[in-house]
Amino acid sequence: MARLFKKLKYPGSWSLFRSDDRLLLILFAIAVGICSGLAALVLNRSLETMLEWLHHYRTYWWAIFLPAAGAALSSLFLEKIVNEGAGHGVPEVIYAVSRYGGLLRLRSSFSRLISSCLTIGSGGSAGPEAPVVMSGAAIGSNIAQAFSLNDRQRVALVGCGAAGAIAAIFNAPISGMVFAIEVILGEWSTMNIIPIAIAAVAGTEVSRLLKGNQIAFAHRDFNIHFNDILACVGLAICCALASILLTRALRSIHHVSKGVALPKWIRAAIGGSMVGAIGYFLPYALGEGYHAIRTAIDGEFSGGLVLVTVIALVKILTTSLTLGSGGSGGIFAPCLVIGAFVGLSFHRFLAAVWSSALWVNEGCFALLGMAGLISGILQAPLTGIFLIIEITGGYGVILPLIVVSAISTTLCHYLEPASFYLKDLVEQGQLLRPGTDARVLTDLSIQELLETDCICVHPNMRLADFIGIVKSSHRNYFPVEDQENRQFVGMIHLDDIRPYLFDPAMHHAVLTGQLMNTHVKTVSLHDDLSEVLQKMDEGRIFSMPVVSDNRFLGMISKATLLDQYRKELMVQTGRF
Amino acid sequence: MKLPIITLAGALNLPASTIERWIRQGRIPIQRSGTSGTEVIFSHAALEKWAATHNLPFSLTGDQAEDLLPETLESLVSAMQRGKVCHRVAGDDAAAVLRSAVDRIDFLSEEIREELFEKLMEREQLASTGIGNGIAIPHPRDPLSRPPETPVITTCFLEKPINFNAIDDQPVSVFFILISPTVKHHLHLLSRLSYCIRDKAFVSFLNQHPDAAALHSRIAEFEKQLDDL
Repeated sequence: MARLFKKLKYPGSWSLFRSDDRLLLILFAIAVGICSGLAALVLNRSLETMLEWLHHYRTYWWAIFLPAAGAALSSLFLEKIVNEGAGHGVPEVIYAVSRYGGLLRLRSSFSRLISSCLTIGSGGSAGPEAPVVMSGAAIGSNIAQAFSLNDRQRVALVGCGAAGAIAAIFNAPISGMVFAIEVILGEWSTMNIIPIAIAAVAGTEVSRLLKGNQIAFAHRDFNIHFNDILACVGLAICCALASILLTRALRSIHHVSKGVALPKWIRAAIGGSMVGAIGYFLPYALGEGYHAIRTAIDGEFSGGLVLVTVIALVKILTTSLTLGSGGSGGIFAPCLVIGAFVGLSFHRFLAAVWSSALWVNEGCFALLGMAGLISGILQAPLTGIFLIIEITGGYGVILPLIVVSAISTTLCHYLEPASFYLKDLVEQGQLLRPGTDARVLTDLSIQELLETDCICVHPNMRLADFIGIVKSSHRNYFPVEDQENRQFVGMIHLDDIRPYLFDPAMHHAVLTGQLMNTHVKTVSLHDDLSEVLQKMDEGRIFSMPVVSDNRFLGMISKATLLDQYRKELMVQTGRF
Repeated sequence: MKLPIITLAGALNLPASTIERWIRQGRIPIQRSGTSGTEVIFSHAALEKWAATHNLPFSLTGDQAEDLLPETLESLVSAMQRGKVCHRVAGDDAAAVLRSAVDRIDFLSEEIREELFEKLMEREQLASTGIGNGIAIPHPRDPLSRPPETPVITTCFLEKPINFNAIDDQPVSVFFILISPTVKHHLHLLSRLSYCIRDKAFVSFLNQHPDAAALHSRIAEFEKQLDDL
């Protein structure tokens, strides 16, 4: 019985999966997809319940403090109870994937669900998608850990979790799949795509079984003309500008909030009360805003150009306030709302300027605006395109959709080279996509590159004796160690002694201690390899001694590094 | 198959810590046996295929280790014993003496002797091998086309000293003809021989044209000194 249990715990070592684990990954992908789908539904249901419950109180004046209370509670919960950082969680998932083989904590699988439910349910302007992605990813990671799977398999299951979650919450399997690969893993390989696709299917199926197969933002048919596609260029520029504005506003409010010397939950509460005050006058700017999107896509929004533009701008402000001050939630849903209103305002502007031209229904522009904003903020054009197609059921708009997504992504890339999710990671130098230089250098450790075939000498040796050692060594470097306590005192390079080598008079007159270089640059065992390489380049040196606790451990050289680097790159990028 | 991780690391010519990391990251088709064991389980065929697709060397038989062992180099005495010691080698000039010396090396076939003579002459035209003190070390510049498996030294004592364009312009009366399978063997023997020749007493001993047994025992003494260094 115990043996059977042990065997079940290590499915990776079953002979069936030992040489090829695709089938194993597919089985796990189904389980992860179902679990993350359920997590997505739980958040969705609890949000609906909370909104319904709080709906009656919205008319009272004190309702402006509801978002403050929600944000403060969510901040307290994250900080004091589960001890996790605020924010939406997607960068944490990407960081875990690239640095720790997708290792995530078990509590991450529910912490963001609860905190974002408090923030959004109370009226904060944020989306439920990123928290769900974090939960799904954590579920995948912890299932992999429970069954002792290796890093590569765990990363695939983290992707499965993210895909299942997005697929379930939007009823959009392809978007889930593309998002997981394009944004979370950043690596298109069949090893990952197949399990992730399966997980997306499982997540979607769970959502369809429990919630029904409904398209979130169904719309009527649009009759698109050539001039509409031309107008898309202008819309894409507006979307890119809105994306940049949102990214910058979010970051600057985050910086301002960080600078305030108050406890986190009070900062979150201040941000929340500002959101509440704005929302009192403009309820469209509150919550995740799906209702507003529906009205916009149906073309039934009644406000004029000014009101629509103001709503888009105010939504940017409330989202930045909610998330920047420490509320918890994602950026997906606010992006959709902002995009829809940017699309509407652009349409109203066109209709006002060229009133004679025949434009397509404004709902179409709202839809295109959503794609433009998602693509711009995430800098993931495929995610934007597939998400909008799936959540609107509108394959008819595919051509302008691609145009808007592509242009918006490109423009955003000019102004903000890293996407919203990756910006912090890039700034810290922690974006380590597979097969890149940074990733190879991070994976290799100095321990693996150590050359231990150097012969140590002591400082009181005569040159004549030292020459004997030179004869029997095939290295040019000789570390010098103190005879008694074996402490590293310096290095002798063959170049240093060359002038004395052929002068027999010196052979008995000079000691190695007089020849050695005591100011040699050393590296320690736990140094960062990219820093070591930088040191080598600066000093134009090809090898350096590795010294730890003042003891010589070996040499590290560019020649061995190239050898190992190449092998590492081949193994990282090659087929399994 | 089940092997210690160190052995496998040797077979793949990688540090054990790299193999451990690759197992953890799932980049190599190997499993650890148990949770903390130092042994690993793998399928030989699968690992071989994996190594081939990733261009990595993989060999469990340990051939590489043998290749890396230093070659055991011959001692001077055994090379001399394998050759001959010829007395009263006749001739009036360098070419004639070399001709009659090569003819005395009867353990080589006619054909190879001809090649040897041509190569020796070629080498002499490049620069004389007379290294002074009446001694010359004629040798082909490159190994023969069909060299002997082990190096051979033939010692020739000339009937009368001849002019060999030696570096000290002294007439030469002793030849050591070196035939080696590789340049490495050649250099090794040359360095040992020149160590002996630097000794004045040995030079005068050579001028007495000793017989084979006496020469070999004297050389053996020198080699013992060299090995003790």
